[in-house]
Amino acid sequence: MLPAALDDIKILDISQGISGSYCSKLLADFGAEVIKVEPLGGEQLRTMGPFFDDDPNPEKSLIHIVLNNNKKGITLNLETTSGARMFKKLVAQVDVVVENYHPGYLKSLGLSFEDLEKVNPKIVMTSITGFGQSGPYSDYKSEDIVAYAMGGVMAFSGTKDREPLKHGGFQSQYEAGLNAALSTGFALFGRDFDGKSQHVDVSVQEVVNASLVMNQPLFPFSGAVQGRRNPKGTMYTQIMPCADGYFVSQTGARATWDDQVRFYGKPELAEERFANPVQRLDHGEEFDSILLDATKDRTMKEMFKTASEEFQMLFGISQTPEDLSSCPQLESRNFYQEIDHPVIGKTKIPFRLFNITESPFQHRNSAPLLGQHNEEIYTENLGYSKEDVIRLRELNII
Amino acid sequence: MSRLPLEGIRIVDTSAIFAFPYAAGVMADLGAEVIKVEGPSRVEPIRTGMLSGAYPENDPGDDPWNRTPTFHVVNRGKKSLVLDLRNPKGLKVLKELVLSADVFLENFTPRVTRNWGMDWPNLKELKPDIIMMSNTGYGHGDGPYSDYPAVATSQEASHGLTHLTGYNGDIPSKVGQSYVDFVASWTCLFALSMALRHRKKTGKGMWVDIGMYQLGAFHIGEFLMDWVANGKDRSNRIGNRHPWFAPQGCYPCSGDNEWAVLSVRDDHEWEALCNTIGRSDLVNDSKYIGHANRLKNHDELDQIISEWTKKHDKWEVMEKLQNAGIPSGPVMDSRDMNTSKHYWDRGFMEKVESDDPTLGTRVLMGRPWKLSNTPISIKGPGPKLGEGNHRYIVGELGYSEEEYQELIDETVTADKPTDTRPIPTSNLDDMVAKGVYGYWDPEYRKKLGI
Repeated sequence: MLPAALDDIKILDISQGISGSYCSKLLADFGAEVIKVEPLGGEQLRTMGPFFDDDPNPEKSLIHIVLNNNKKGITLNLETTSGARMFKKLVAQVDVVVENYHPGYLKSLGLSFEDLEKVNPKIVMTSITGFGQSGPYSDYKSEDIVAYAMGGVMAFSGTKDREPLKHGGFQSQYEAGLNAALSTGFALFGRDFDGKSQHVDVSVQEVVNASLVMNQPLFPFSGAVQGRRNPKGTMYTQIMPCADGYFVSQTGARATWDDQVRFYGKPELAEERFANPVQRLDHGEEFDSILLDATKDRTMKEMFKTASEEFQMLFGISQTPEDLSSCPQLESRNFYQEIDHPVIGKTKIPFRLFNITESPFQHRNSAPLLGQHNEEIYTENLGYSKEDVIRLRELNII
Repeated sequence: MSRLPLEGIRIVDTSAIFAFPYAAGVMADLGAEVIKVEGPSRVEPIRTGMLSGAYPENDPGDDPWNRTPTFHVVNRGKKSLVLDLRNPKGLKVLKELVLSADVFLENFTPRVTRNWGMDWPNLKELKPDIIMMSNTGYGHGDGPYSDYPAVATSQEASHGLTHLTGYNGDIPSKVGQSYVDFVASWTCLFALSMALRHRKKTGKGMWVDIGMYQLGAFHIGEFLMDWVANGKDRSNRIGNRHPWFAPQGCYPCSGDNEWAVLSVRDDHEWEALCNTIGRSDLVNDSKYIGHANRLKNHDELDQIISEWTKKHDKWEVMEKLQNAGIPSGPVMDSRDMNTSKHYWDRGFMEKVESDDPTLGTRVLMGRPWKLSNTPISIKGPGPKLGEGNHRYIVGELGYSEEEYQELIDETVTADKPTDTRPIPTSNLDDMVAKGVYGYWDPEYRKKLGI
């Protein structure tokens, strides 16, 4: 196997849900040995749908299979004295701990950053929380929608006549996982030089906010604040319907305005009131209706190809999971990985985020079954006998 | 003095707009020397264009290209070098600079670096330990879309996110601004941390080839898997609702255009919500027992919750619900975030001072994570165009003063854009009337103490 960026790094992931699992998945893909440490009933991702065959079995959660790929798995009850003690012994052997519990919870178990630093002075502990470890809101509870509201995105999303709107899915959780992975990466790179421990404090609210590079600085420079768009006359650059779905188009790249006029086949668009971007704002409703008429009989696929290939326009079509599951572009990039999972069998999972000439994303094993590596880790890493492992199971510690 | 993770790392950043430039701005925060390379006739579009927002006090001044808010937050702490890369002399300077660097960032269409002999197969021959990072809409390679132009706005649809975003039962929608650009920024930073560690261990550089399309698709993984494994598309647009918890939504508060959100994840939170809004009678109402019933009767619940939220301002709604243990919060706009005590206490907002008195001190957002033993901060505002021309061309690369003057005379380098189209400015009141901005607050400097 090729040398990998993190092939000397060991990680304990005690997080639950998307953000922490995504973080440690990325680190595992770069060669780190990641042990997912789950509560006895399994982590939260295992309860999250969709499930294979719609069977809500904790081994069949599909997002668990994607985000816990390449990891080992053990169970450990951190809320018992023995469990906490065993965890600290494992911490002494690793480089990174990833967690996303409410601030203060791990401290109540004697497992705070300060506690873990005592058993491992070079530990990197990465904590992902709704509002961060400090500040007046640190004790508040969060959810994807709360991060979207307080992270500043919703205030200018949606239309003026309706309520502010969030993204679909759980984008704040994915964004937070990515930020946790990169900040952990830099903490490890820094540690190579100075040998310092680090508590990495990731705030999901700030992660969402950090994407607002137009919105945030506008206020301190001019006092202006973005709002939601008008419901009428603002469809261009947003989403528009066509014969069989939806598309989005905007100016820029190598396409001239004349290219746009020719693509839509509407000569009146060449008039100054549409060609001039400032004037176009004042004629939005008329402009939108011309575009809607021009595209009502055209299909997404035809327009995507024509706009991108013949006119070099910036053009998107609203694709579905079905489109993306058989997309030739994603295949050319090896986005999906074939896996053979012991419970759900052969399938493919989204896997490679990007292409890279060294330390490539390598698939080693599919997501662990609950407690699959208990015997291996507890005997080899902590020196317990097989009988001890049985006893720990009987005592509900593992 | 604590060592910053990227101390001693030189980064040549030829990228434009948001994705890689913003990543490189954070690299400067982390201690790297970041040299932003722009062309005299093609300066960074966010220095002036439609994407840049207003100017300080809405005054473009004599050098508007040095003054836009978005430029400064994205390009903070960098140095500026102007080179016409279509001129062989400019390209020669770039190559020399890249050979002195650790990292080369670019987001050109794939054929550009090929034509320059600076694509990966060529560059690795010249400098085997260079880390080259490329960002394109669809990724390099022989895929059918690899040469398609793209921006985050068009990709938000193509990578599958608009299909599951939108008001309940309505058409697809975009949300926020340029979503996947920032996913690419963070992916770039993640990949750099891996590439540097790999290089430290092996001595080898590498090429990181990011296609934003892939990143966006990964972030709807659960919906992709439902199709791949089950042949089902359940990515219906449900607005602000949660797929399996209820109630969840965004509700009107007292005041004009003020909103708050909440989410109830279990029966305990449901009971707390009923008690907080003075409707304890609903706790055991069979219509609302369990998530399935509450999802079925969500419209009615939205009415009941709105009746209560309308009587309180959005901050009161947050305090009352959070104190009862329910995830909730106000919809914060840009003024709210810039003045948030929570953000200031945590250091997420930073005051950044410019030596240009008309720019003065401004507030820029930092990074959404902190390292306990390494204080990281923004090193300065974005660079004035061409401020580093002489320092790099003469001081670092050893060109003579005469050669430098020739480069100026031939407009290979410059400290002003050669494109002198008028800069459009508009009255902020007009912009509010047209709906471009929601409002503007003339007291902003006082409120920020700048």
